[in-house]
Amino acid sequence: MSDSLLLLFATIVVAFVINMAISLYGVFAKPSLVKKFIALTIFSDSINSFAILIGFRRTALGHPSIAVLPSPPQSSKDLEGFVKTAVDPLPQALVLTAIVIGLAVNMFLVGLIMLYRRYYGTTNIKKVRI
Amino acid sequence: MKLSDVVIGVSMTMLAVLISYLMVYGGLGPIASYSLRPLATSFLNYTYNPWNAVYSALSPEAVTAIVWDFRGLDTYFETSVLFIAIVGLVALFRGAGIAQGISSRGLSIIVKTSTKIVAPLILVAGASLAFHGHLSPGGGFQGGSFMAVAMVLIAITFSIEFLHQKGLSLSTLLTIRCVGLLAIAVVSVYLLIKAMLLGGSAYIFQNMIRMNSSYSMPSWFIDRPLGGTLFFFNLSESIAVIGGLTLGAILLLLREEELRAVIGGEERE
Repeated sequence: MSDSLLLLFATIVVAFVINMAISLYGVFAKPSLVKKFIALTIFSDSINSFAILIGFRRTALGHPSIAVLPSPPQSSKDLEGFVKTAVDPLPQALVLTAIVIGLAVNMFLVGLIMLYRRYYGTTNIKKVRI
Repeated sequence: MKLSDVVIGVSMTMLAVLISYLMVYGGLGPIASYSLRPLATSFLNYTYNPWNAVYSALSPEAVTAIVWDFRGLDTYFETSVLFIAIVGLVALFRGAGIAQGISSRGLSIIVKTSTKIVAPLILVAGASLAFHGHLSPGGGFQGGSFMAVAMVLIAITFSIEFLHQKGLSLSTLLTIRCVGLLAIAVVSVYLLIKAMLLGGSAYIFQNMIRMNSSYSMPSWFIDRPLGGTLFFFNLSESIAVIGGLTLGAILLLLREEELRAVIGGEERE
């Protein structure tokens, strides 16, 4: 049971990394700016999902709980049970920050690409002669 | 197929193999282990801990407590990054304004009617997500983006001139954005100013009672936890995000006629 679970996790990790590599290939090799942009968003999304996966944990009881207390704890024993089952909240908070900053950068990039298209008539960087 | 493509492909393959080898065999520590990292244990332990209130955020939601209390200054600068990106977008599109009478009809009557039904629901769901950010998963940014989706839906189906006629011009949206950011700044120094006026000491981004400081934001509202500054931060952040994202989307929705002055097309033709 435990070995098969770890094998599954290793497979997911390798899949995320291959996803990152393919999207980086798209950023480098594709001549169209729109395709570069799409590959960049796929890259950031796979990194964010991977960061959340790092925060996952296993518990003795089975699946873990989310990092939210359902109600204010009545005694310190409630709090200990919460700490024993909840997942790591720090990657989620960091990913939230990364998503906000990524959104800001993406909006600016889309604006740049739109102006580029209107100015040169194409988004293919290999066809433009300055 | 050129040589450069082959080189890029081979190097990306090697990158994938190396990183996955490192990660699977313990580059970042064990994945999906039974024990938490010590930092995570500390965060979970102090997110709602009335027995150790000097270290606690008194909010049942650990992620919001980290984002707006334990790492509050980080999040303020992150919001500033979003603001600066929008300022950059405004600078790129400088001189462009919403022109009247180009094609102000919008989409068909079916789409308009269904948008009238759906948009208020999206706004209410986003507001609930934002204002309950200290109790359940969600928060100011998520709720604000939710509400911005409704605004963009209205801008697309009813045309951006409709929003302009309702008073949401580009400068108004930028003002809403600035007001939200300013409200975050005011909440973050509120306890400091209070301590300076009444005597005693306090910190920037202080939420609950801390060592050397007996001032505290309200931690309960009637019968449920309020999380002190977290609720006010979520409120201000959702206002800031709805203004900023709507402004960005409207700038990207501008029409060819409005952008002719921006791109300087006449000189090149």
